[in-house]
Amino acid sequence: MEMSEAKVVGSRKAGGRIATWLAIVCMNIWVPVMMIVATVLAIAAFPFLAAVWLLVTDWPLGKIMRHFVWLYGRVWLWIVSPFVRVEYVGAGAKELARPAVFVANHLSFFDIYFLSAVPAFDVVIFVRSWPFKLAWYAPFMRLAEYPDVERLPWESITESSHRFVGEGHSILVFPQGHRSRDGQLGRFHSGAFKLAQELGVPIIPICIKGTDRVLPPGRRWLAPSRVRIECLEPVDPSAFQQELGHIKLRKHVKKLMGACLAGN
Amino acid sequence: MTDDKVIEIVNQSLVEEFELDPGMMTPDVFLVEGLGFDSLDFVDVVVVLQQAFGIELREEPRVREVRTLGDLHHLVIEKKRELEGLKQQ
Repeated sequence: MEMSEAKVVGSRKAGGRIATWLAIVCMNIWVPVMMIVATVLAIAAFPFLAAVWLLVTDWPLGKIMRHFVWLYGRVWLWIVSPFVRVEYVGAGAKELARPAVFVANHLSFFDIYFLSAVPAFDVVIFVRSWPFKLAWYAPFMRLAEYPDVERLPWESITESSHRFVGEGHSILVFPQGHRSRDGQLGRFHSGAFKLAQELGVPIIPICIKGTDRVLPPGRRWLAPSRVRIECLEPVDPSAFQQELGHIKLRKHVKKLMGACLAGN
Repeated sequence: MTDDKVIEIVNQSLVEEFELDPGMMTPDVFLVEGLGFDSLDFVDVVVVLQQAFGIELREEPRVREVRTLGDLHHLVIEKKRELEGLKQQ
């Protein structure tokens, strides 16, 4: 009796492993092919869509581009949906429409794509230099006014950030700077927190979980996962105005994010 | 305060304020390449050390020559001695 139960359990486990590998194979065919198709179509359609958008809304091109990037991310969510279950927890579009500095932990190259689960459409993403080397994305990143934070001096970053916030846009920063290699929250740099203080806008922490199972740094193939994205309550930087207050603000926000990531 | 005590306080302050790994705090480690400091961090390092030791570093030209943690230790030790010398006069 015990032997036959063990056999059933063993065959179920083997079946589960085969199903998992089959899903991985399907995902690694479906997702890249669909993303290439979506990217080519997006690049081809953008001039026409942007012209119509411009005529209808009279928005600046940068704002249109940032909305377009968000929509592109939504297409990504649809493409990966057979393999990745994405759950969003947090404020709605109305609450997130006011300018803020979003800070998110960083686990995967695809974090940016998954962040389109957050209903914040007009967000200037602070990026490092290497994504500007991706020829098919770089012109659109420039149109969206994403600053290259590795190349630009701090004064230039704060100057353009004042303009972004003044025009009603939000900012997204990955304070770790790099993707985490072990899934844990790494060292946070202070820039985003100093910026929020200077701009007088709230920090909205975003906790990303599960994207490192989709594609962690160093792996070349995708894997199914469950992804959870949670927007925490805004943190008011004016409560941290003393000297080195931005360091205290950074530590406070990191503690909140650590608790969120450990709790779910 | 002994030199070893100064080094200990410098290391402890940097570990606490900049979330650094205590195992990395060796004198030969470079602040930018090794500890990952950026230009904003340097401004904060100056304020953190001023608060920890009561020394003036903001207008100190030797700060620009600091490359390694050992350089920083030496600078703080020198500034601390200068401050103590001034107090004795």
